[in-house]
Amino acid sequence: MQNGVVANEGTGGRDHQFRVEALRWLPEVTRFALSLERDEANADDLVQETFLKAYEAWHTYTPGTECRGWLFTICKNTFYKRRTREDRHVSCDDPELEALAAVAVHASAQQGGYADLFTRFDLSDAIDAAIAALPEAFREVVILIELNDQSYESAAALLDVPIGTVRSRLFRARRLLQEALINHARDAGLVRSRLNAGISGEESR
Amino acid sequence: MNKKIPRWLARLFSLKGGMSNDAMSAPMLDCESVMRQLWDYLDAELTPDRMEMIRMHIEMCKRCYPQYQFERSFLDAISARRRTHSDPERLRANLLAALQSKGLSEA
Repeated sequence: MQNGVVANEGTGGRDHQFRVEALRWLPEVTRFALSLERDEANADDLVQETFLKAYEAWHTYTPGTECRGWLFTICKNTFYKRRTREDRHVSCDDPELEALAAVAVHASAQQGGYADLFTRFDLSDAIDAAIAALPEAFREVVILIELNDQSYESAAALLDVPIGTVRSRLFRARRLLQEALINHARDAGLVRSRLNAGISGEESR
Repeated sequence: MNKKIPRWLARLFSLKGGMSNDAMSAPMLDCESVMRQLWDYLDAELTPDRMEMIRMHIEMCKRCYPQYQFERSFLDAISARRRTHSDPERLRANLLAALQSKGLSEA
C-alpha cells in the first residue's frame, strides 16, 4: 500500500514527494497549457489550477506511476471545464486510407510545383490559425502528439479513446492542416492557383 | 491491411501489387505498404524491424522518398510551433506561492 506509506510519512513526506514527482513536470505541463490556451495569462491560470488540484488530490496518485499523464489529464479536464465543449462526434475514415490520401496531397503539390512549400515559406501564423480552426476532436490529438510529444498510446489513454481512433483523428487532422496551408499559400499568392486539384473534398473521399 | 483502395488512389499509385523499379532491391515491402504506414513510421510508432524495412525502402525508392520528404517537412513545420513560456521563473514562483498558501511546506 504505497499510499498508506505516504500517509504515514506525514505532510513533510507528502510534500517532498509532490515536489519530486509532480513539480518536475512543470515545464511539460506549461507547454501543454500553452498549446491549449493561446493567451499566456490564461495558460498561467490553467497551470496553477492544474497543480493546485493535483496537490489536493495527491493522496489519490499512486507513487511511481505516470505522473506526467496524470497531470495532463487534470490540465485537459480543467481546460474543458472552463469552456463549453464542442460537439466531439466526428466522422473519420480508415486511418490507412487517410494515410494514403496524403499521397494525393503530395501529388498535387508536385504538380503545382510547391512540394517544398513547408520549407520555402514561413507559415507560422497560418499553422497556428489552421490548428486553432480544427474541430476539437482533431485539434486535441494534434496538440498532444505534435506539440507535446505524446505517443499514440499515451494520447489514447489521456483522451480515453482507442488507439485506432487516435490514429484516425491524427491522420485526418494532418490532411486538414495540409489542405488549409495549401489554401493559405494559394490565397496569399505564395503559390500559383489551380493547386487544389486532386485534394478537394469530393475527390479525397 | 488489405482494404480496398479507392480508384483515384490506385490511379495515383499505379498499384499492381509491386513497387517502383527503384526500390526493387528493398524486398518485402511495396510502395503501397510503405505509404500506408508512412505516418506511423514518421511518428516512430512501428516495431524496430518494421521501422528498418521502411527506412530502407524509402532510401532506395525514388517514388516514396519525395513523399517522405514532403511529410517530414510538414511535421517539422508543425512541431516548430511548440510554444515556450516567456517567463518560466515567474510562473514557477507564483505557482509555489499558491501551493504554499494551500499548505505545501517550503523546501
